Amino acid sequence: MLALLFILFGAMAVGCALAVVAQRNPLYSAISLVGVFISLACLYVMLAAPFIAAVQVVVYAGAIMVLVVFVIMLLNVEHEEPRRGRLKFLVPVAVVLAAVLIAEVAFILVSVQEFRVNPAAGASNVGLTHSIGSKLFTEYLLPFEITSILLLMAIVGAMTLARRGGLLSSTTRVVPGAQQLPLTMVDPTAEPDDMTGVKTDTTDEAARLLGIEGLRDQSKRD
Amino acid sequence: MEPQLSWYLALSAVLFTIGVTGVLIRRNVIAMFMSIELMLNAVNLTFVAFASFFQDVTGQLFVFIVMTVAAAEAAVGLGIIIALFRNRESLDVDEASILKL
Repeated sequence: MLALLFILFGAMAVGCALAVVAQRNPLYSAISLVGVFISLACLYVMLAAPFIAAVQVVVYAGAIMVLVVFVIMLLNVEHEEPRRGRLKFLVPVAVVLAAVLIAEVAFILVSVQEFRVNPAAGASNVGLTHSIGSKLFTEYLLPFEITSILLLMAIVGAMTLARRGGLLSSTTRVVPGAQQLPLTMVDPTAEPDDMTGVKTDTTDEAARLLGIEGLRDQSKRD
Repeated sequence: MEPQLSWYLALSAVLFTIGVTGVLIRRNVIAMFMSIELMLNAVNLTFVAFASFFQDVTGQLFVFIVMTVAAAEAAVGLGIIIALFRNRESLDVDEASILKL
């Protein structure tokens, strides 16, 4: 029974993984990748790891794939550009190398038969949330904290990379809170009660709109 | 018949190999990114299989941390992809050769 389930979910995972690589449209690849994640979550349940299975569905199939699909939709690239002849010879090389890798792993798996540990031995509280949590906050507290610092760095890095206007140069200063200027500050002939905003990203842009570029050159000389 | 440990390892190896093939043969940077996610998941399957067969929770903790790293990688990687697309108007990795002489 378990073997049948393994074959079912394993075949589903491999088929969806092949679809990820074979599809030309990245959106279809993303949907196939969700299929891989779901079938792997089913395999985790079979391996008595319900917490990991839940996290797999929530984080991978939920959060990460939503992010990927969001970027695909944002960039709006429906189809891959037609391939040119350059680097075409790498395709058979890649397939051959992949076949060699699979053959090596298969040889190891066939020749090494030492893993005869019975998974059903002992009371199984290994995959439960309680045991994972108690280990995570006692013995593995340092990796946990390092991971949180990594996430913070990822947040800062993603904001820096994806912001419009690119990295700031050393001479540019962004005025905090003044990036949205009222129209009357830029155009003196505007109605005084016209509060339509003028959006600027950098100090230079604001200075240009305000006509005070000479002031910045002066301050640069100081 | 119960699934053996070697079955899970074989499945994981196959998934990992498909991911490597995807990184090698695809041009679209988002597709390459998804192939990398596929490889990470293959390794996760190995961790969970060993954790289950050896009755040790450490493997599942590693999976937890790998998932966190994958989330961070997704955020930064997609930020890089957006910046690349803004500069190059293309997702083809062959276009991103500005460092090449």
